[in-house]
Amino acid sequence: MRDSDALDNNPHVSRSALEAIHNQVYGWALSRCDFEHAAAEDLMQQAYVELLSGKARFDNKSSLKTFVFSVVQNLARSRFRRLSSRLRLVKQFQAEPTAAVVETAEPGSNDGVWRAVRALPARQRDIIELVFCRDLTVEEAAAVMGVATGTGRVHYDRAKKALRERLKHLVDEE
Amino acid sequence: MMQEENDTLRKRVNAAWPATREPAFDDVWEAAGERYTAARRNGRRIAGVAAAAAIIAIAMFGNAPMDESWVEVADLMESTYWTAPSDVLLPERQFDIYQDMPELFESTEPAGGTLL
Repeated sequence: MRDSDALDNNPHVSRSALEAIHNQVYGWALSRCDFEHAAAEDLMQQAYVELLSGKARFDNKSSLKTFVFSVVQNLARSRFRRLSSRLRLVKQFQAEPTAAVVETAEPGSNDGVWRAVRALPARQRDIIELVFCRDLTVEEAAAVMGVATGTGRVHYDRAKKALRERLKHLVDEE
Repeated sequence: MMQEENDTLRKRVNAAWPATREPAFDDVWEAAGERYTAARRNGRRIAGVAAAAAIIAIAMFGNAPMDESWVEVADLMESTYWTAPSDVLLPERQFDIYQDMPELFESTEPAGGTLL
């Protein structure tokens, strides 16, 4: 079945379907870019270019949302790899390390819950975001992260356990 | 009980998660479309330049004299001789052969216990 606004190179993807999940995907892209809005928007554009060109081809094997999340995740990974290699090069030729303060555009509150989430290992944080904030199932979240479902479950359980522990301490401190 | 705890945790994490002010879909989509069109145009331009370079290279070097390292057939013929196997079956030869048919006689000379 082909929607009227389906993409030429991606017949199972329609513009309206992408629009429906746009805010969710943007949220995911934003956390991939450490909450830098400009970088997240660029990542989103790149993801849409991949879909337009058919380089990332959706074949209905999963939900569109899972698929687009995976595209964003892969693009962010390759971007991170490129950036880290550039950073290594810069560090190699940098005479003296500058003491510049890196300003994080993170709009989050300093709430203890947020700090507890941020303190989680990356994969645990990712799965918590995907399941709690992006409404994916653990299976879908594991697929987005490129890990086996069992591994995803382990990360999810450990993340919840760690969060509960930290939040309990938070309550005790209060 | 467990489900309830999960729901509470989910709500707390959701509430603490930074709110996103996503850019309008149309803007992002339009920008992506422009990037895609520009990439295609560049791709076509690169392909065109590559094709033109290939044509120029063929035109310039395609008709260049090749290195004469092969052996001339005429030279080869002078130094070698070759006869087709079928030559022996030609009519004259056939004639020669069958004109002087050897006569075969029964030998009475014993050789090694048998007659030749």
